[in-house]
Amino acid sequence: MKTKLANLFLFTQKINRQHVQVALALLAVVMFVLGAGAPDSGGLGGR
Amino acid sequence: MILLAAILLGILAGLLLARWRKRSWAFPTLGFVWLVFVAFLPQFFAFYLPATRKHIPDSWVSAGLLVSQVLLLVFCWLNRRAPGVWLLALGLSLNFLVIAANGGFMPISPQTAGRLVPQEILQTVPPGSRFGYGKDILLQPKDTRFVWLSDRFLPPENFPYQVAFSLGDVVIATGAFWLMAAQGKPPEKSSSSI
Repeated sequence: MKTKLANLFLFTQKINRQHVQVALALLAVVMFVLGAGAPDSGGLGGR
Repeated sequence: MILLAAILLGILAGLLLARWRKRSWAFPTLGFVWLVFVAFLPQFFAFYLPATRKHIPDSWVSAGLLVSQVLLLVFCWLNRRAPGVWLLALGLSLNFLVIAANGGFMPISPQTAGRLVPQEILQTVPPGSRFGYGKDILLQPKDTRFVWLSDRFLPPENFPYQVAFSLGDVVIATGAFWLMAAQGKPPEKSSSSI
């Protein structure tokens, strides 16, 4: 358990500012294409 | 889904290209990313969040969609030097044009919609009303402005995932692919960052 926690701690230390920026940028690109595009798969979803 | 697939394929192509050219792949440098989050908010509440989308009047939804897309166009302008962004802007402009010209929603014909949902369900949707909780509105082609820009394309009938998409969507998918794939190329003289 201690080893697992230590590994987790090491992993979180590796997540630096650059990783967060890349994740945010990827999320932004995904949001952009979802917001800009208008494909429809017919999700009438109980309307 | 097709748009997200374009991003994934673009990343894959960029990684392969980078490996082939023996250089590392980097995520595209984009500025004013916060603007995308702000622009997406109205669409998130109007189309994606089940708790809110059924309570927002259609007039607000259409207005929110138009405002959202204008903000995304501003984002494109601010990042115009990044590879593929001009294609994203072109596709978005095509979608914006047809949406703005048809009351703030993307038109889809009953014929096209008939490939997506069973006829008995389709018959419950009156012409001119919204097609589900998405961006589409059911309109006959004769009543549609810029019909060639509407959601009128479909994959082959035997394709497992059926979706109607527009010319603008195709251009946006191409732009997203290019934006991701181009990151595997050697850097050009004109920087993509702003």
